[in-house]
Amino acid sequence: MATSAATSPSHFEAIAKQAETARTQDRVPDAIRLYGEGIRLRPSWADGWWYLGSLLYDQDRFNDASSAFQHLTSTSYRGPAYAFLGLCEYENRNYEAALKSFRAWAGAGWAGSPELVDVALFHFALLLTQDGRPVESLYLLASVAPRLGDVPELSEAMGLASLGLRYLLENYPPELRERIWLAGKAALYAAQSPHDFARADEFASRLEKRYSGQPDIHYFRGTIFTFENKTAEAEREYREELTISPHHSPSMVALAALDLEKANRVEAGELARHAIEADPENPEAHHLLGRVLMENGDLHDSLSELATAKRLAPDNAGVRAHLAMVYAKLGRSQEAKAESAALLALKNKEGVMAPLTVKLRGAKEGAH
Amino acid sequence: MICRVLLASFLAAAASSTALAQVRQASSPQSFDQLLQSAEKARDEDRNDEAIHLFRLALVQNPNSEEALWFLGAMLYEKEQFAEARNVLRSFLAIRSDAGPAWALLGMSEFQTRQYPRALQHLQRAMAEGMGDRKELMQTVFYHVTILLTRLERYDDSLDMLQRMLASGAPDPTLIEPAGLAGLRLPYLPAEIPPDQRDMIALAGKAVVALQMQRQDEVNADFERLVVAYPDQPGVHFLRGASLAELHPDQAMAEFERELAISPSSALARVRLAQQLIAAGEYDRALALAQQAIQLEPKRASAHMMAGEALIAKGDTSGGIKELETARQDDPSIGRVHWDLLRAYAATGRKDEAGKEKSEIEKIYHSNSPSHSQSLGDSSRDSQPPQ
Repeated sequence: MATSAATSPSHFEAIAKQAETARTQDRVPDAIRLYGEGIRLRPSWADGWWYLGSLLYDQDRFNDASSAFQHLTSTSYRGPAYAFLGLCEYENRNYEAALKSFRAWAGAGWAGSPELVDVALFHFALLLTQDGRPVESLYLLASVAPRLGDVPELSEAMGLASLGLRYLLENYPPELRERIWLAGKAALYAAQSPHDFARADEFASRLEKRYSGQPDIHYFRGTIFTFENKTAEAEREYREELTISPHHSPSMVALAALDLEKANRVEAGELARHAIEADPENPEAHHLLGRVLMENGDLHDSLSELATAKRLAPDNAGVRAHLAMVYAKLGRSQEAKAESAALLALKNKEGVMAPLTVKLRGAKEGAH
Repeated sequence: MICRVLLASFLAAAASSTALAQVRQASSPQSFDQLLQSAEKARDEDRNDEAIHLFRLALVQNPNSEEALWFLGAMLYEKEQFAEARNVLRSFLAIRSDAGPAWALLGMSEFQTRQYPRALQHLQRAMAEGMGDRKELMQTVFYHVTILLTRLERYDDSLDMLQRMLASGAPDPTLIEPAGLAGLRLPYLPAEIPPDQRDMIALAGKAVVALQMQRQDEVNADFERLVVAYPDQPGVHFLRGASLAELHPDQAMAEFERELAISPSSALARVRLAQQLIAAGEYDRALALAQQAIQLEPKRASAHMMAGEALIAKGDTSGGIKELETARQDDPSIGRVHWDLLRAYAATGRKDEAGKEKSEIEKIYHSNSPSHSQSLGDSSRDSQPPQ
């Protein structure tokens, strides 16, 4: 069978070469046209899809770029393609699809150039906040904060997450702007390496002064104090939060954790139970109650609580560590080994479900 | 919508200059031409929904038609369909990247969809490409660039933009709040001002505008009222100090000290205080403050500049040059740093390097017309060389 000139390998190679030349010479429209022609000739040309998608993305043509990156999710470009896909879908306001793509990106090992990783992490975090997962969001944002420094968009994103406000940068009510700015600056400075607690305190205290009667403000102040190891001040703030928001589960968990640190297991247990009543889906509340019960020697009830925490937060390394301990104490060595293995596998994700204080510590360590 | 009325006249003007005569690239020219003609007729007759529909059909025939993309983008903007307008204008600009008015509409669309960093970037591109003689469009773009610069914490750039706007026209009451926000260094858009801060911001804005327009009789009274009414608010004493720095350095120093008591981690107040102390010959304290400012904000060029000036004044020329070189690296556009380096290199016999600094100074003073006499923000904005 004769091969037509349009589909012959030499014709494809000529187009590919012209596309590369156009791209390296910054003739973007020509490069886009030529890469388009190249992938029509050879739809399996992964490099062609990659450069086409990247060029379209750089031109803010997110719909077209998204289609190009879709073709790469089963190729060697899989990791970064998912990151770009998430970014395109974010720009196209397909937030659910964007979140799914970012999760796939994370599952593929967070691949990409340092610039792509920063941008994708930032947008992933924004979507996590909107999805009601501010702690995971802060983990991601705090991990890039020392490198990026005092960037207004970053502090704004941290402000939203710190106050647990389920919005994106583009859609929060204007009347929230001041508190988001103040909380964001406090969180950002606390997450710097070395920590800039002086400035974090300055902004946190301005926030508290301006919005002392509003929910979540004292809890946030408490987390900053906890991070600074100012436990008395932190405790005061968490209790203040509970006078404003009596069912504030994260404050109860934070207080329970402080009690547990002081070996005050009775009060820690009561607070953890109240936190579970207020929010049965709070994994940290179950985790803490599990720890209290473990320390009390009530291993069966502890196991039950930790299993609930594991179901709610399967990526929480701390829960797996305590589960391994309880299984070991119960003599269930196979299950203890399995949890230890899961713990090791989660090592790189450690802290994903941990409190803000742990996140910020993680960010600090990660920066070194 | 601020831009809507001017857009209508802009569209009309653009229509007369476009291009039924242009070469069209449709794969089926007749069909495309018919669609485009019908769309333009519908637009001329204010049947806008129909025109939008027809432009869309035309783009199916020829996705790269400049006319169809431009008119569709502009009409969608006019109908406040900002997200779609943005997408269409992006496609237009991929073909016609030199079209200043299209960058303006893209930036304005992105402002409306609250993509502020991108909006700022594209509005600044509109300024760079130019918008012809469309004065109203330019004013709209300038206004939004000003408020976006503040929103993104580029207060000094925002104050510079305000200065340009005030210098080029009659007093504009819509600039009062932007001036107050930039002066107090509060990163809000006017629409985001907390209700209980509106009076303070308006008062600060009035004072800033009076100062920038050199209405000296109003300046002192306005700033005095601001300080008396809001003595404990962050930013107020800094602004007052900056306004006094040139004529009343002692009072300015006292205001900067007050600001530091309220905002202890303000690098900027330290830099401005250091600047005053250098002028007063108090080099040790100036150096200490500049070094603290560097610790707080290592990338703030003016902090390194002050440290360099203080070190040189104390006799440590090589240490001073090192700091000044850091300042130059962090921000090569500061004329004062090049002046400092010119003097320091000349004093140490480094003639070639001094010559280079002289050329840099000439370049900077040719490209910027240093119109304002006094900075309300960072010292690096001072146009005058150090004494």
